[in-house]
Amino acid sequence: MRILVVEDDKDLNRQLNTALTGAGYAVDVAFDGEEGYFLGDTEPYDVVILDLGLPKMDGISILEQWRRANRNMPVIILTARDRWSDKVSGMDAGADDYLAKPFHMEELLARVRAQVRRASGHAKSEIECGPVRLDTKTARVTCDGQQVKLTSHEYRLLAYLMHHSGRVVSRTELVEHLYEQDFDRDSNTIEVFIGRLRKKIPGDVIETVRGLGYRMSRGPDEA
Amino acid sequence: MKLKSLAFRLFATSAAWTLLVLPIAGVIIYRLYRDDVQASFDARLEKLVNSIAIDSMGGGGGTTPIAPNNRYEPLFEDYHSGWYWQIKRVDDDQAAPRLGSASLGHAVLELPIKRDIKPDANGARWMGSLGPAGEPIRMVEVIDSVERGDSAPKYSIIVAGPVDWLESRVANFLTRLAIALFLTGVGLVTVTLFQVRFGLLPLRRIEQGLADVRSGTAEKLEGELPAEIEPLQEELNALIASNQDIIDRARTQVGNLAHALKTPLAVITNEAREDKGALGSKIAEQAEIMRDQVNHYLDRARVAARVGVIGRATPVLDVLEPLSRALERIHRDRAIVINVQYPPEIRFAGERQDLEEILGNLCDNACKWAKSTVTVTAQAAAGRKGRLSIAIEDDGPGLTPEQRSSIGKRGVRLDETKPGSGLGLSIVTDLVQSYRGSLSLGQSARGGLRVDLDLPSA
Repeated sequence: MRILVVEDDKDLNRQLNTALTGAGYAVDVAFDGEEGYFLGDTEPYDVVILDLGLPKMDGISILEQWRRANRNMPVIILTARDRWSDKVSGMDAGADDYLAKPFHMEELLARVRAQVRRASGHAKSEIECGPVRLDTKTARVTCDGQQVKLTSHEYRLLAYLMHHSGRVVSRTELVEHLYEQDFDRDSNTIEVFIGRLRKKIPGDVIETVRGLGYRMSRGPDEA
Repeated sequence: MKLKSLAFRLFATSAAWTLLVLPIAGVIIYRLYRDDVQASFDARLEKLVNSIAIDSMGGGGGTTPIAPNNRYEPLFEDYHSGWYWQIKRVDDDQAAPRLGSASLGHAVLELPIKRDIKPDANGARWMGSLGPAGEPIRMVEVIDSVERGDSAPKYSIIVAGPVDWLESRVANFLTRLAIALFLTGVGLVTVTLFQVRFGLLPLRRIEQGLADVRSGTAEKLEGELPAEIEPLQEELNALIASNQDIIDRARTQVGNLAHALKTPLAVITNEAREDKGALGSKIAEQAEIMRDQVNHYLDRARVAARVGVIGRATPVLDVLEPLSRALERIHRDRAIVINVQYPPEIRFAGERQDLEEILGNLCDNACKWAKSTVTVTAQAAAGRKGRLSIAIEDDGPGLTPEQRSSIGKRGVRLDETKPGSGLGLSIVTDLVQSYRGSLSLGQSARGGLRVDLDLPSA
C-alpha cells in the first residue's frame, strides 16, 4: 500500500512518515501544495493524507483538482481547522475523512486502514484468503492459526494482494503500489518476493496468471 | 405622535402658524369688506341726494323747491321704512315749503348743518342719527338754493338710509367668512399632518430597515431614500460592514491561532508518545492538557467574537443539507441515514458558522451512536414568534437520566470508545447560550437520545 503525506510542518511530516512506514506502508512525502498536487496527480496512491493550510497551493484546491481529474484515491484531511464549516467544505471538496490536529497517531492509522479497506471493498479489519488470515489492525498474518513471520516488503506485497483478492494484480501495479517514488523499481524483485512468500504460506494461495500477474482467491465470507 | 418627535415639532409649528394667521387674515378681510359696503352705501345716498337736489331746485322757474318727479327708491313711499328724503329751508324753521318723502310721515329730520358738521370735498355733510321710528340711520345733506345769488334762501336736502341694512349685510358676510376660514384652517392642519407623515416616511423606512438588520432579515439598509438622509443610510451601512469585518477578522485570527498552535502540539504529542520513559509520558499528558486548553479558549474566542454582532440570518437549509451530506460521507462505513425535515423558508438569526458548529457537533454525536438513522427536525417554535426549534434524534442506545445530567460538563465522556474529545457538547452549550437559546436532552421515541434546541429565528 502506498501513501502520500502532504504536510508542510517538517516534524509532523517526519512523524507521519515514520509511523506509516512502521505500519507497513510505502510512504511518499510532500512539503508544499504544488509538490503534493503533482505527486497525487501522477502516482497511484492507495491513501492520501492532506493538510489544508499548505504553502503554494491550499489543500481544498488540490483536492478539488484531483477530483475533477478523476483521481479517486481516498483522501484523509488532516488539519488544525476543526470547525464544522471547515469539515463540511473539506468533505464537499471530495475528502473521505477528516482528522483534526492534534491527533493520536493510532487514530490516524485506524483511519488509514479503514480507507484502504473501504477502497478495496472489505468490510472487516480481517481479510481471509483460504488458510491465510490478515489482521490489518495488528499487521499480523496467520496461516491455519499459526503466525507467519514476514519482512516488511513481504508483508506489503501480501497485504496488497489480499486487499485486492479475487482479481488479477499485475507486476506493474504491484511495483507502483509497494514502493516509494524514489525506490529503484525492478519488477524482478517482485518475483523474488512472491517466491519467498510461497515458502512461508501454502504455495497455491498465490496464483500466477501467466502474462498478466498474480491473483489470490477471495475469502468465502466476502465472495 | 410623540411630544418629542420630529413629526410633532413640524406639525406644531405649522399648525400654530396657521391658527395665528387665519384670524388675522379674517379681521383684515372683514374690515376691508365693511369699508367697501359702507362706501357703496354712501355712494348710493350721495347719488340719491344729488338727483333729488337737481330735480327739486332746478325745475319749474319758480322760487321755491318742488317735489322731485322721480321716486328713485320705492322704500321712500313706505312709511317709516328707514329710507327718507327731506327738503327744508336752512335759515327758517317755520318757512314753507317743507318737502319730504312719504315714508317720513310728519316727522322732521335734524339738519346736519345745524350741528356744525363740516362738508366734505363735494359739499356733502354726513351724520348718523335716529329716524322717526327711533331706528339708527345715516344721513347725507347738501345745501342748495333755487335762485342764483348769495341772498337767495338756502335749502337743506337730506337723504337717509337705514344703518341696519348695512350692518345686516356685514354680519351676514362675517358669518360666511368665519365658516370659510374655519374650514380652511381645518383643511390646512389636516394637510400639514399628512405632509409631515409623508415627508418623514423615509425615516420610518430607515427605522424599519435597522430593525430588519438587527433581526437579521436584511444584511444592510436597502432602498431608495431622499438625498437628505442618503448619507445617513451610507454611514449606517458602512458601520454594519465594518462591524462584520471586525467579526470576520477576529474569526480569521482565531483560525490562524488554531493552526499555528495545533500543528506544533501534534508534533510534541506524537514525539512524546514515542518516548516510553517518564519524561515522555509527562510531556504527552501536559500536551493533552494544552490541547484541551487551546480548544477551550479558541471556542471561547469564537463565542466572544460573535457577541454584539449585528444580525445575520442563516437559512437552515444552507447548513443542514451540506452538513448531512458530509456526515453521511464521514459515517458511510456504517451506512447511517440522516433524515432532515424542515420548512424551506426557516432561518436562524445568527452566524452560519455557529449554526454549523452547533448542528455539526450534535449530529456527529448522533451519528456515532445511531444504529442506522438520525433524524433532524427543524420548525418554527409553536406559539412563540421569532423562535426556532430543532430536534436531533438517533436510534442508538440513548442515555439514562443520570447520564443526561452529567453530560455536557467539560471533558466528561460517557464512553471512551467513541472517538472525540468530549468537548463537542460544551462548545454547543456555550454557543446556544450566547444566542440566548436553550438545549435539553431527552429520550427519543426511536429509543436513542433526543436533543432539543431552542434558537432565535429570523
